[in-house]
Amino acid sequence: MTPPARRSVYVRGVGAFTPLAPTWSATVAQLADGACAIREITAFDATGFPCRHAAAIDRELPDEDRRMPYARAAAREAWMQARLAVASARLGVFVGAESGRGRWATVLGLARAARGAPGAPGASGAFDHARFAREARPWADRIDASVLSPSAVAVALAHEVGAHGPVETVSLACASGSAAIVEAARAIRLGEIDAALCGGVGADVDPLMLAGFGLLGILSPRGVSCPFDAHRDGFVVGEGAAMLVLSAERGDAVVELAGIGRSLDAHRLTAPDPEGSGAARAMSAALADAGLAAVDYVQAHGTSTPLNDRIEVAAIRRVLGAAADRARVSSSKGALGHWVAGAGALGALYAYHAIAAGEILPTANLRTPDPLCDVPHVIGRAVRADVHAALASSFAFGGANSCLVLRRCG
Amino acid sequence: MPRAAEVWVIRVVIAHHAARGPYLADAAPPDEPLANPRARKMMSRAAYLAALALADVMRALGLSADERARAGYFLGVGGSAGSLEDVGALLDASIIDGAFSLPAFGDRGLPACNPLLAFQLMNNFTMCHGAILEGLGGPNGALFSRGAGTVAAIAEAAHAVATGECELAIAGGADVATHPVTLAELARDGFLARGLVPADGAGLIALRAGAAAGAAGDVVLEGAAHASGRGRPLDDALDDALDDALADALARAGRGSIAEPDVVVLAPWGPPAADALRSYAAARFPGARTSDTGTRGDALAASPALAVIDAARVLQATPGGRALVLALGVDGDPGAVLLAQEAA
Repeated sequence: MTPPARRSVYVRGVGAFTPLAPTWSATVAQLADGACAIREITAFDATGFPCRHAAAIDRELPDEDRRMPYARAAAREAWMQARLAVASARLGVFVGAESGRGRWATVLGLARAARGAPGAPGASGAFDHARFAREARPWADRIDASVLSPSAVAVALAHEVGAHGPVETVSLACASGSAAIVEAARAIRLGEIDAALCGGVGADVDPLMLAGFGLLGILSPRGVSCPFDAHRDGFVVGEGAAMLVLSAERGDAVVELAGIGRSLDAHRLTAPDPEGSGAARAMSAALADAGLAAVDYVQAHGTSTPLNDRIEVAAIRRVLGAAADRARVSSSKGALGHWVAGAGALGALYAYHAIAAGEILPTANLRTPDPLCDVPHVIGRAVRADVHAALASSFAFGGANSCLVLRRCG
Repeated sequence: MPRAAEVWVIRVVIAHHAARGPYLADAAPPDEPLANPRARKMMSRAAYLAALALADVMRALGLSADERARAGYFLGVGGSAGSLEDVGALLDASIIDGAFSLPAFGDRGLPACNPLLAFQLMNNFTMCHGAILEGLGGPNGALFSRGAGTVAAIAEAAHAVATGECELAIAGGADVATHPVTLAELARDGFLARGLVPADGAGLIALRAGAAAGAAGDVVLEGAAHASGRGRPLDDALDDALDDALADALARAGRGSIAEPDVVVLAPWGPPAADALRSYAAARFPGARTSDTGTRGDALAASPALAVIDAARVLQATPGGRALVLALGVDGDPGAVLLAQEAA
């Protein structure tokens, strides 16, 4: 049987909830001026943590898992802009998300129930099922998986927009948001659905995740996110949500999602592939999928870690060749920090804005470009440019890579 | 659910499969060597079980390094969750005067902890550990699954092969229901009281297209769909949602209706889902033999993959046979997988 022709995928709406503003449209103006949302953490006492700064959202929010208000606000903005009419069964929701957080006392109580308090009679330090069965119940009552699960966000958004098609959650660390957009585009291309709400959310300005990243030694001790700068020393955690509405019907869309590419580094857990071959394969696959050899703009993963930025630039040069000298490069993480599961979707919005508005947003805090990261950076303020196509890259811990190519509609 | 004629048809061969578990809470955990034994301390138990199953599949397939670098890997994953020994050490060092102290957490907790804790906490590492050990480099996805979502990972892998994104893809699920936090969730939501038997497990299938597809005796995955958007509470009537999942799977198989399968394998999230699935299968396919992977223990996100493997094993001994896997997750979200053995 001959497969049907692949359908085009159009970007009908975008939205975001960021540390700078509650909408993407309000955020963009500040980003264009070179604003940076990174501040000292005030939500909890970060004394003693390896990094005491973050791009946090500190507005008054309802008392619920923080992922929910971020994602709902971003989705609402994108959905309103899209003005779609689609049957509920032909509408899907795809979200990149990690788990929400239980309260500290609950986690501590469960740990104690599982292994005993230190020094307590019979506490061996090993998990004891019998003790757990006796002592965990009061703590168990406080764990609501339907709220804290990664999938809770996608399920809630599906209810909001009335989606009865696929509702999927991608948990691919820093590539989650981009990979969720890939899943949505794939489903539209193959005829499974006609439209999708997709994107990612990160809410990791949180002691446990700061501890986890801190243990890996990848946070900036200075609390400065300056991708590609000679003085970069690690990333700074950020939080927020970015959403897109994709559709097989063009409507008044000016940008299409033309290419998707995915790969695994298959290298080592504790370090990226020094050759950047996994990243390069994902970029090349996305370009090939779009039928392009070059782009005018690269929204880099650009985490501000010494090794990753250098490897990424080398991979960009390898993939684009001489065209790398003409492609402007910037990273969202200088201004907004690293949103982890939401980062890839935020990158897609930067790429969308470059094409739709003809304006490339800068890499905030980049002042002295590292000679080993030699590409045409966008420094200080946004620049006007005629961008026909853009590449947005995401590279996750563990070596999962996801790249998108967006293009002006023909 | 209406399905347009333009849906891509998937039809891929199950080249091999491997299962670990389900292991019940009182069963001795498997202690088997990995290609890199040092990797074990960085792994959650789900990642370890997935890595063992992946090693089995890779050994059987005998792929070259280049073939592995192009192979895809799509996994339905549950909450990965760190070992409570590690989390506990972090927290215990953060207590001052009997109370948890965030400054102490930063000052003393971090040095007391396994520095690789983050690799246990992130759900994607359930997939990435094995991919690194076995050199898989192709398209990939870690889809969070509260049961039936693993069918979406299998469908995604089948699509990646059918559309030529990769020549071979590994798909399945891995989960650990005996993790204390998961046990707490299952207790809170009443599943343990209703008879859910927590278990750990991983199941993987290797999907291949190309010249090998369609040879006599092959077990073929004809269609798979996860009708997640139609999910409702498990105690509701769910037949219409299961009908949707089956219709979607049939559409992806290029068919409008289903003949009575030889076997229906159920992958429920505990007894309430099992009751719903049994009732549905008995009404729709009264002549089919029915089995339930949950009777060996509920391995949550691994269950649909283990059910597909059960079905494939039956079909390997059933010339021309057909099988249907029905899954129902904790959110009342249904999934369906159609399999057949190619007739001689």
